[in-house]
Amino acid sequence: MNPADQASELELIAQARAGNAEAWGELYRRFAPAIFRFCRRAMHTREDAEDATMDIFIKVRQKLSQFDSSRPFSAWLYTVAANHCWDLLRRRKGRQDLETGEIENMPLEHPDPGQLEQLIEKSTSQEVRRALDQLPSRARMALVLRYYADMSYDDVAATLGVRRAFVGVVLLRARHQLREILGGRGVVAGGTS
Amino acid sequence: MIHFDEMACLLYLEGQLEPARAREMALHVGECGECSTLLHALERESHVLSAALTEDNEAMPARLLSTRSWGVPSWVWTLAFGVFAFGAYWLWADSVDPWLQRLSNAGFGGTDFVSMLLFSGAFWEGWSYMIDVLQVVAVVLVGVAAVGLLRRRVRRPTAIAVIMSVLALALAVPQRAAATEIRREESVLVPATEVIHSDLIVSGASVRVDGTVEGDLIAFSGTLTVTGHVTGDIIAFAGQMRMEGTVDGNIRVISHSLSVDGSVAKNVAFIGSTFDLTERGQVGGSLITINTDADLDGHIHRDLLGLISRTSLDGGLGGQMMVRGKSLRIGATGEIGGRATFRGSRKPVIAPGAKLASPLQIVSQEEHRRELFEAIRVMINEIVGFGVALLLGILLVTVLPGFFHATLRETGRIGAPIGVGALALLTGIFLLALGILLMFVGVGAGVAGVLAYAPILYVAQIFVGAWLGNKILGEASSTTGAVIMRIALGLVILHAAGLIPFLGGLIWLTVGLWGTGAVLLGFYRMSRTDEIVTLPA
Repeated sequence: MNPADQASELELIAQARAGNAEAWGELYRRFAPAIFRFCRRAMHTREDAEDATMDIFIKVRQKLSQFDSSRPFSAWLYTVAANHCWDLLRRRKGRQDLETGEIENMPLEHPDPGQLEQLIEKSTSQEVRRALDQLPSRARMALVLRYYADMSYDDVAATLGVRRAFVGVVLLRARHQLREILGGRGVVAGGTS
Repeated sequence: MIHFDEMACLLYLEGQLEPARAREMALHVGECGECSTLLHALERESHVLSAALTEDNEAMPARLLSTRSWGVPSWVWTLAFGVFAFGAYWLWADSVDPWLQRLSNAGFGGTDFVSMLLFSGAFWEGWSYMIDVLQVVAVVLVGVAAVGLLRRRVRRPTAIAVIMSVLALALAVPQRAAATEIRREESVLVPATEVIHSDLIVSGASVRVDGTVEGDLIAFSGTLTVTGHVTGDIIAFAGQMRMEGTVDGNIRVISHSLSVDGSVAKNVAFIGSTFDLTERGQVGGSLITINTDADLDGHIHRDLLGLISRTSLDGGLGGQMMVRGKSLRIGATGEIGGRATFRGSRKPVIAPGAKLASPLQIVSQEEHRRELFEAIRVMINEIVGFGVALLLGILLVTVLPGFFHATLRETGRIGAPIGVGALALLTGIFLLALGILLMFVGVGAGVAGVLAYAPILYVAQIFVGAWLGNKILGEASSTTGAVIMRIALGLVILHAAGLIPFLGGLIWLTVGLWGTGAVLLGFYRMSRTDEIVTLPA
């Protein structure tokens, strides 16, 4: 973002904080499509994504005074969005997903590099998206946060409520589950370690 | 050759590996074809994932982009509330009330729902009240559950408002499907020969209904006279109303005077100045009234509930009488079939021939004053309790903000803190029992336990209050003032709700368990240190 755009964004935020509805509307128009796309990836249905987008912006409006203007607004927005979506998914699914301790103890089979390459080559984006839809909430969310929202390990850890050291484990476990869906259980595992 | 595992490869790719280990891996990959292939495959996988997630993005719906979708337009809520109230009224008039009457006929007795709302404080009595309270709780729970279920499926407030309206209409419409006739003239007359096959809404300086209305009669008029037959209810706002005919439903009237010289199958609710039930007058249900003068010469089959300055009873009353006012006279022909209570400044006059099922209970001015003082004392206690709790809350927010926010987060988990609170209570009871069993050993431990548990129990309300405040006003910003405002609001609600008979006790029990659990979990969270975890190489 060029300095002029950044200044205008900060100006908008300041005005919105002061209660200017026009400024808030402009911020919403500017950022809502991106947040909707993020929610669409994180949530299972389009309706959930629409609702989540609205809820996130209601939350953001309430919390605007907490925004630290030295940070990029979009990063803060993604953090709020990620927390909200994860909160929703967790509440709906209860505790179906694996707890940190269980992930820690889950053996991860070493893949056969050749078979893995083959699987990746033959999988289309559409197939990957369909497979993502079938993943458990935590796995799907972890992949979305890291490979769509481009979040740091620290932010992923904070959002998912796991220790930073486990983010890699969560991501790798998610990749394994994705591969299992894409290629059938056990196809890519079983190599040497 | 020893290879690097997949985890290390992924962390290397993502720049998360310690520098020394990353250098080691870079050297190894140059020599090892298998690890190099794995690294390449993982990198490709990352690209494929990113591409799959960013490609083919769905566009945001235009209606969401409109800033108008920001808040629910106020008219939606107004409309929804209006329609819901309308539906609730019909539900009451056509389903709940007849059901209560059937209960009453079966010998369970009971006060009217409206009377419960109006007079619950003054006339708290026995099982009938309990039935009503349970009924209200059941209805509220059904409503909450319905909203909860709806919210899972349809989360937009506008959609919920529309669904609630449709539900309310669905409740109302099947029972009143006919069209409504509206008449608006200076003087309206429905002649004796005329039959209106629908509801009739009528307004005028003078309205007279000699014919038949097969539905409800809703009137706004200076004078209203009904000599005909109304198969539904009469709802009227009139200067003077006289009913000489037959009403199969209820009469609900706000007017200067109401005279009932005919037959009303259900209840009469009247707010105004003078009420006259003539000798010919019959009320099949109860009379609920707030007025100045009431002359009751006819027959009321169920209860009389009233705030009436002067009451004169020469007719019959099948159920209970509960009247608050200045004076009461029961004539020689007066009859009361149930319990009778009068609260007033003057001693009631009861003629020797009057037939009362039980002696009239008189609450004198002095007793009334004592009750008032007691009520004031309770209120002062509540206000002081509120003030102390708020001060404690302010102290927690300012002195122990970390603990406060950790505990508040735990409070938001609802189920877990209630479970922990219940467990703590059970453990407390067990320890107390053990203490009593072991007597000497237990005294000290028991006292110490109580000393530790009591403050936690008191603090519990602050966190539940803060949680409630957050739910109403939205999550507090970091400013202390906003947090305190939410605590204050939540505490006011809790203390007000705590005054409700029976329910209040349940509310405080829940608050106690919930808040105690949250405080204990808060302590636990604050005491837990993050362990340092190292990944396997």
